[in-house]
Amino acid sequence: MLVKQDRSREQESGDKWEVQLRKGCLELAILAALWDERRYGLEILRRLESDSDLIVSEGTVYPLLSRLKALGLLRSEWVESDAGHPRKYYALTPAGKQRAAAMAAIWAQFSSSMSTLLGPLTKGSRSHV
Amino acid sequence: MCDEAQQRIEAYLSRLQKRLRGLNREDVHEILEELRSHILDKAAAGGEVTAAGVDGALAAMGSPEGLASEYVADNLLTRAAVSRSPLRVLDSLFRWASLSVAGFFVLVGSILGYVLGAIFILWAALKPLHPRTAGLWVSRDSTGELTLSLRLGFGSVPAVGRDVLGWWVVPIGLLVGWGLVLLTTRFALWCAREYRRMHLPRRVEAH
Repeated sequence: MLVKQDRSREQESGDKWEVQLRKGCLELAILAALWDERRYGLEILRRLESDSDLIVSEGTVYPLLSRLKALGLLRSEWVESDAGHPRKYYALTPAGKQRAAAMAAIWAQFSSSMSTLLGPLTKGSRSHV
Repeated sequence: MCDEAQQRIEAYLSRLQKRLRGLNREDVHEILEELRSHILDKAAAGGEVTAAGVDGALAAMGSPEGLASEYVADNLLTRAAVSRSPLRVLDSLFRWASLSVAGFFVLVGSILGYVLGAIFILWAALKPLHPRTAGLWVSRDSTGELTLSLRLGFGSVPAVGRDVLGWWVVPIGLLVGWGLVLLTTRFALWCAREYRRMHLPRRVEAH
């Protein structure tokens, strides 16, 4: 019983850590999804779903988009569509591009040094499985 | 699109609009139009916009209250990035408190912090006006119990006891008061950030 509780607590803190990690990546993921072209909200959501395993709800992404816009990292424009209603497209501002590039550089540096450190661990877990 | 689908969209958006009251009017308009366009796109994924499709799209967005709450918490964080004035923070907190229990408790805590901070600053400011009465008074009552009282200086000089801080009231009051105000703002922002964190990406269940 006690062991069971300990294990579930362990798993819970592991989950929390994972949530934090994903949370930290979300802003970068959104900026990255807009790197090469402007997109509207649903496109961004689908892009995040298909190209990363960040499953995000619209309730999270839309408020975040409006915050990134208020911070001057994104700009938006309304574009008429074939669907019969306009869509709000977001694109990176120069400040947003700069920020995305800076974040990507930090990410690359960090993940490569972490990979070196984690190499033995991941090899170990593979042989376990 | 059938009338029923249209009605459901309007009902959802008008509930959301009510809860976004207080935000800049243009921003609210943009939010509502953007979500309308999103719902239509999502509901039409299979071709025609149907009532069932709209229901699915609305369910994915969560309750209007929850969504409004996220917009307001984000708005608080954005505004604070520009100015950390307690008035602006409180203004956003009042809106947040009307939307969620969490917001209510953060508001109560913040009001407490700001009021306490303001009292200390007032204390320092009143010392030059009431040099003989404002201060930290220590007195011993008839039973010998020591009592400490923070006096703003209104009223007459107390019959017993003495002011232990003297002019130190000014720097101490300003420092403590200002510190409380800063801490309260940080507390409010920390809560808003934590609140947003609770609603962030979950693991992919299928993997």
